[in-house]
Amino acid sequence: MGWIATTVDIILNSLVLGGIFLIMGVGLNIIYGLNRVMNLAHGALYALGAYFGYTLVAVGANYFLALLLAPIVVGAVGLIIERVLISPMRKRHMIYTLILTYGLMFVIDGLIKLFWGQETRFIQLPEFMQHTVSVGPASYPVFRLVILIGIAAVVTALMLLLGRTRLGINMRAASSIPEMVSACGINVRRVQISAFVLGCILAGTAGMLAGPLFTVFALMGHDILISSFVVVVIGGLGSLRGAVLAALLVGFVQTLAEFFVTEMAMVMVYMLMALVLVFKPLGILGEGKFE
Amino acid sequence: MKRILVLSLSVALALAWGLPALAAAPVKIGVLVPLTGIVANGGMEMKNGIDMAAKDKKTLLGRPIQLVVEDTQVKPAVAVSKAEKLVFQEKSVALIGVFSSGVGLALAKNIAKLNVPFLTTHVMTTAFYGLNPLVFRSGQLANDQTAVGNVKGILATPDLKKRKYYVLVHDYAWGHDAGKRFIALAKENGIKVVNPDFDKAPIATKNWSTYISKIKASGADGIYIALITDVIPRFMKQATEFGLMKTCRLVSGAAPGAMDLENSGPAGVGIFGASDYAWDLENFPGYQKKAKDWNARYFKMYKAIPCDAAAHSYVGAMNLFQAIEKAGSTDPQKIAAALKGMSYDGPYGKVWICPSDNCMRNDAVLTETKVAPKNPYGAKIYMKVLKVFKAAELGPPCK
Repeated sequence: MGWIATTVDIILNSLVLGGIFLIMGVGLNIIYGLNRVMNLAHGALYALGAYFGYTLVAVGANYFLALLLAPIVVGAVGLIIERVLISPMRKRHMIYTLILTYGLMFVIDGLIKLFWGQETRFIQLPEFMQHTVSVGPASYPVFRLVILIGIAAVVTALMLLLGRTRLGINMRAASSIPEMVSACGINVRRVQISAFVLGCILAGTAGMLAGPLFTVFALMGHDILISSFVVVVIGGLGSLRGAVLAALLVGFVQTLAEFFVTEMAMVMVYMLMALVLVFKPLGILGEGKFE
Repeated sequence: MKRILVLSLSVALALAWGLPALAAAPVKIGVLVPLTGIVANGGMEMKNGIDMAAKDKKTLLGRPIQLVVEDTQVKPAVAVSKAEKLVFQEKSVALIGVFSSGVGLALAKNIAKLNVPFLTTHVMTTAFYGLNPLVFRSGQLANDQTAVGNVKGILATPDLKKRKYYVLVHDYAWGHDAGKRFIALAKENGIKVVNPDFDKAPIATKNWSTYISKIKASGADGIYIALITDVIPRFMKQATEFGLMKTCRLVSGAAPGAMDLENSGPAGVGIFGASDYAWDLENFPGYQKKAKDWNARYFKMYKAIPCDAAAHSYVGAMNLFQAIEKAGSTDPQKIAAALKGMSYDGPYGKVWICPSDNCMRNDAVLTETKVAPKNPYGAKIYMKVLKVFKAAELGPPCK
């Protein structure tokens, strides 16, 4: 394989990895931006999305149908979590929800092990997605290209939701000046609930996209949670634009480092985070909202 | 008088209650296996094998056998603290199991303090040869034995012999050892390796795409992997997605886990490698009867596909149990002395512990994973036995 093909491979791999981080990071930021909840159960919800999707495909559903349904089910779980656990804690300091969601992560992990066991699961893909296709001089898996299209669709839908719909505009406004939004007669509580559910839907979507990539296993949420927080820190807490940029940056740094300095790959990613924290503590775009 | 009567009655009752219990006090064996994390399937298979051996043996020194199982989580520190619990709290007379060389070496380092024999059924590092008088191996083939088997297999297969190999290992003690052993032997035997410094992937790696790009860029058409068994099908699946398996053949330094192989489906086909056991041995002359009997009993007991990890854990446990019987006591030094030279004739022939280095020698199989023919175990993918190596062929010589 020539260097051009290798370069194409690296770029596409970086985009796929960065894209998964992007959906996770944006989800975390939406939840934090509106609710001031640092959702440590976000990784577990990602795993839940993958497991729901796996189950749907295993009982005969089409992968794309599962990709649509699994995040909705995770969203429903998110709604229950918000109503039953987060809402009563809303007036307390955010450390309470931090500890609460940390515990919730283990509860969800435990439930996953209880229902699905410890075995690694493989999501069966449609036949046409099991092949490779030529991308310039490189041959690349169709499935990974479908993921890239899926990520682009999610980002577009999110932009439309936040930019063109009343709910999205309310979300953006409530994230900056909740008191003003409330004074305008908008039900801020409802906006906050919607944001929490949306964040959970995004976690489920990321899980369902990543499930066939990395396989489905009980603790899959732990690794991605750490990477997602790296993205959030680099992008700036609560900054959506920052999260998008940071996700792609982390995707590229990790992939390039894995290629050239394998054993130092994760060290490079954490060094990047440390540098951003030192020189741009509010994220690469300076839009972070630390409290 | 009344007081004496009550006292006598109490003593009699206590004796009546306590003596049978004392007579039947079980011999406790501490079982350390990973039951959570990425190798949980392998841990479960090891546990099943040891449990089956205990059920077959029934008693030790005329007392029931009690297995006390602890989850190591494949973490050295956890394994050491669980071992302390098993020995000091549970009063286990020996330790058995352990997945991962890192965990095994950590435990071996603490064995003087624990002062019980420790027999691993799954640690493959060559550092275990003659490591400590209380440390033994009777289980999965060591890295040097696997490398010999794999190199012999490559040399005997024209399609594999002509290929250039990319070596990819997991970044810890076992992976490094396995990579070095294979490369040294490959060099001696004229097998081409494109990356003599071999690639080391972190154990947590789930996304193999970058490694696959590196393999493609290297121009290799053969891959030698030393990845934790449960991870192999995951790697294979991604390599297949990238079309890598159309041009490359894969040789593995460890047998893939049975359940993971099943879950991976057709992507799990084409893994070539040496290991102790495969259920297909029941179709191989000389081993048929014992293998078939063991497979059938294992499947009946655990409703699981008979596999390498279960079989060599069974044999390891049998060697330990026989040593305790031979020692005639639970004294650690006596058990250790009895383990030296102990052998058990099991589903894959005689497994003998060399007295000079405390590690086993046994026959082994060279297999390739294929779509399974109709079989009583419901396996869809299986390890087809291509050849059986005699113990002397794999070595190392027992001095």
